[in-house]
Amino acid sequence: MSCNCGSQSTFRDPVTGNLACTKCNILLEFENYDAQIGGISGPSGTNINIGYAGTGSVFNYKDRKIFNAKGSIHKYTLVLNIPNSEFEVTSMIDRITHGEFGQGDWFDVLIGACCYVVMRRDNRVLPAAEIAEVISCDVYELGRMISRVVRFLDLNLPEMSIAGLFEREINNSQCLGKLDDDGKERMKKQGIFLVNCAVKWFLTTGRRPLPLVAAVMVFVAELNGVKGVRIGDVAKEVHANVATCKLRYKELLETLVKVAQALPWGKDVNVKNVLKHAPSVIQYMEMKSMEKKHEGEMIEFQNSGFDLDDVVSDCLRTEAAYRDYENCIEGLDQHSDMGGRNDDPKWDLVKADKLKLSHECLSLIYTNFSNEVDRSQLNGQSGNVPRRERNTGSEFDECRDWWNGKSELTKKLLLKEILERDVGYDAMPPSFTAGCLANEERRKRINAAKLRINKIMHPLNTDSGGNGDLCIFEDEIPRKKRKRTQAPEIDWEDFIIETLLLHQVEEEEIEKGNYNRLLDLHVFNSGVM
Amino acid sequence: MAEQGGLEGSQPVDLSKHPSGIVPTLQNIVSTVNLDCKLDLKQIALQARNAEYNPKRFAAVIMRIRDPKTTALIFASGKMVCTGAKSEIDSKLAARKYARIIQKLGFAAKFKDFKIQNIVGSCDVKFPIRLEGLAYSHGAFSSYEPELFPGLIYRMKQPKIVLLIFVSGKIVITGAKVRDETYTAFENIYPVLTEFRKVQQW
Repeated sequence: MSCNCGSQSTFRDPVTGNLACTKCNILLEFENYDAQIGGISGPSGTNINIGYAGTGSVFNYKDRKIFNAKGSIHKYTLVLNIPNSEFEVTSMIDRITHGEFGQGDWFDVLIGACCYVVMRRDNRVLPAAEIAEVISCDVYELGRMISRVVRFLDLNLPEMSIAGLFEREINNSQCLGKLDDDGKERMKKQGIFLVNCAVKWFLTTGRRPLPLVAAVMVFVAELNGVKGVRIGDVAKEVHANVATCKLRYKELLETLVKVAQALPWGKDVNVKNVLKHAPSVIQYMEMKSMEKKHEGEMIEFQNSGFDLDDVVSDCLRTEAAYRDYENCIEGLDQHSDMGGRNDDPKWDLVKADKLKLSHECLSLIYTNFSNEVDRSQLNGQSGNVPRRERNTGSEFDECRDWWNGKSELTKKLLLKEILERDVGYDAMPPSFTAGCLANEERRKRINAAKLRINKIMHPLNTDSGGNGDLCIFEDEIPRKKRKRTQAPEIDWEDFIIETLLLHQVEEEEIEKGNYNRLLDLHVFNSGVM
Repeated sequence: MAEQGGLEGSQPVDLSKHPSGIVPTLQNIVSTVNLDCKLDLKQIALQARNAEYNPKRFAAVIMRIRDPKTTALIFASGKMVCTGAKSEIDSKLAARKYARIIQKLGFAAKFKDFKIQNIVGSCDVKFPIRLEGLAYSHGAFSSYEPELFPGLIYRMKQPKIVLLIFVSGKIVITGAKVRDETYTAFENIYPVLTEFRKVQQW
């Protein structure tokens, strides 16, 4: 190579490494020129691809699949707001698929299942319904995949905390977003208390937890006078079915009504007004739940004649009204029995250290209380239920402090701990109760069918009864929308029962209600060769 | 015959066999049989009554008979699955009837390797069960995920039976090949259930 000056003498520049002319010190150009000549024996350059599709891609199918899969995992963990768990989810999928990952709809379901399992394994809360919505699949499909993942990895997932679920949902709730921190905290505690009670009352056993969470959220919001919280909105927020949420809400109210029966005015409490009575009911439940914890104190309480008086007086107790209330009680002293109260400060206000309220006194107190409750508006300020103005001159003031919040049930507890505590009522599972009722109804139908059969077979013996059998049947099985003038309805079930009875089927068997099986076995004589 | 025929409900309970006093009711028996000949399913579907065949949907002829009230899946390979019978004898009788129908349609059907594959039973213990407690105590055998399924799935090792236990006290027992396995499984689980009945307080 020669320089433009004509010299052919060159040296290598120590800095750039290029050749330079020894005469004029000019760097010689194109010294490192690399001709792009194709062919198998041609020099190979750096292959630069734009994108990763096409035959010239450096990514083969597997790499591309894994790249996309990891992208999906990243996307879903981000949407589910668990970006910290991305690595764990990825490694779990890696383990399950033996490093192959995957693509297609099933892989999205697998990601969702692994997200769920990772969260549950770490004792964190992420509802399956929410995952299903994010990955656009059915909860059943997701459930099947979760079961497969759990079985494949041989995991034993810890107990799911419904209280934790409630806490998460109330924190994330937009309906309650405007609430101040104190109010939210109180609602959270009340809600967890109710959720724990619901667990004890079998309202959650064998049921999806989210509808109950929604129901409790709505109830607590109403209890605290939070406006604009609708069950439909809450159900949508927590990814639960609205109808189920309404059903759980109804069940919650019905159970609270049953709890309220322990109160002196319990018979007046029904599903419609239980919300007004909820403070006293919850206070009663709270006190009962604390019984075991402070066993020593409660023994004292019980020895001193602890009953519902303290609940009543606590409901009515307010600083401003103490004097009036005292007057009221003093006026009633002639009706009340004197008992040995302890020196608990709670009782100081009305010389309660020596007071035991009589039934007459309680009824009077309740009448006053009931009037107050009726007058009060539930849509007042949050946390003050029921509230009324001080200048009304009544002996009770606002029940601001009905909520104690010191019960252990306001915390996230294990099932064992929940069951240990008494909340004033012990419920049977709704499905069990429904089953018992169905059996009872079938028993009545069997009896009615027997009477009808007997009447036809022995008309003379049943003369005295006249139309009695049908009347009994009519009375025993109430039917909706039945016209008074219409004869008692006999439906397909009655006919089947009659048929089975005529085929000498055991009544106990009929009572189980497996009609198809019994018809097959006894009526159609199948199996007899 | 009477007992095999499913009249067990009418008999007094044998407490030596059923110490719990509860006899699970058989609800479904699934059996298989090999007709040992290749079948033209389209031909069968065209000729037989109560038969449906939609190859796009399912690659077998679905045939039903009324007595015993059962449904059969008949495959082109000659294999047949009979479902819906309430007792073992019913299942076998039904399978024979299906085989006879196939024979009458002109195929050289035999009746080979009849086998009961699954027996499903159910019963009611008449008390509510605290599923959470059961799942916690028997974690190795149980799976209770109320978000996914309302019942507790109990996989018993001996006999190898799966039980679905519901809070209402209703039990479904599946996976047995003979009815005694169903009974044994229930008698095994019954003491466990009583431990977690509602009145139980820890």
